[in-house]
Amino acid sequence: MVYIVSWDEFVDRSVQLFKADPESTRYVFKYRHCDGKLVLKVTDNKECLKFKTDQAQEARKMEKLNNIFFTLMARGPDVDLSEVNGKEQMETQPVKKGRGRKQ
Amino acid sequence: MHRPPNKFSPPGGFRRADHQIPYLLCDSREKKSLQCLRICKEYSSEVLLQLDPFLNELTSMFEKSKEKGSVWVTLKRSSLKSKLQKRKLSSAGESIEYRCLIRATDAKKTISTSVGAKDHQRFQASYATILKAHMTALKKRERKDRKKSTEAEKKQGTSTTTKPKKL
Repeated sequence: MVYIVSWDEFVDRSVQLFKADPESTRYVFKYRHCDGKLVLKVTDNKECLKFKTDQAQEARKMEKLNNIFFTLMARGPDVDLSEVNGKEQMETQPVKKGRGRKQ
Repeated sequence: MHRPPNKFSPPGGFRRADHQIPYLLCDSREKKSLQCLRICKEYSSEVLLQLDPFLNELTSMFEKSKEKGSVWVTLKRSSLKSKLQKRKLSSAGESIEYRCLIRATDAKKTISTSVGAKDHQRFQASYATILKAHMTALKKRERKDRKKSTEAEKKQGTSTTTKPKKL
């Protein structure tokens, strides 16, 4: 079990792992409120990548990773991941238009 | 079928995997372990729910395990079909529809749901809201320490820069 220190490395490697074997790769997360700890694990039953944290900022990053995995798993491993970031931008744009109209 | 013990065999005798031994032939210790497995399987039956009931159950799981315990959530791509069905579909030339299988457990019960490509955005949003609301025990960045460290750096920076100016 390898605990990865860098968040970006964890994300890159886990997406690579999923794309290499989408049938058997799973993404698990364990949250313990009493200890205030979060552990993420991505494995394809041959290789295992883990990431642990107790920081709230990592939880926000984890939400983005969740979105990435949802998109990959529901739509397929060939999905262009820039769409995920593109959707977030789409959500922010109408807010700006609203501010403009009020003026 | 049992091999006679000799100096090369392990002292406790050879142990085969439980599923290979017919129930009647295994000894009392193995019978007890098989019985335990059966009981565990009965208790740990997974409940497949629709999206909204799953989210409600997930919320209650988080609330129950605030004092002690963990919540595990697993995401996996699955077509929810057996190998036979997959072979039939691929031989018929039809595409297999994959869904995202989500399981959540708090070690007492397991719930699951599957999300297709159409529902995943809506589910994603509600799921993120639940996580944000409940993962409150994590440490937040201590801004006071950050300010102190940046002030200390600034002081060090100004002390080094003033010397060359005097010269």
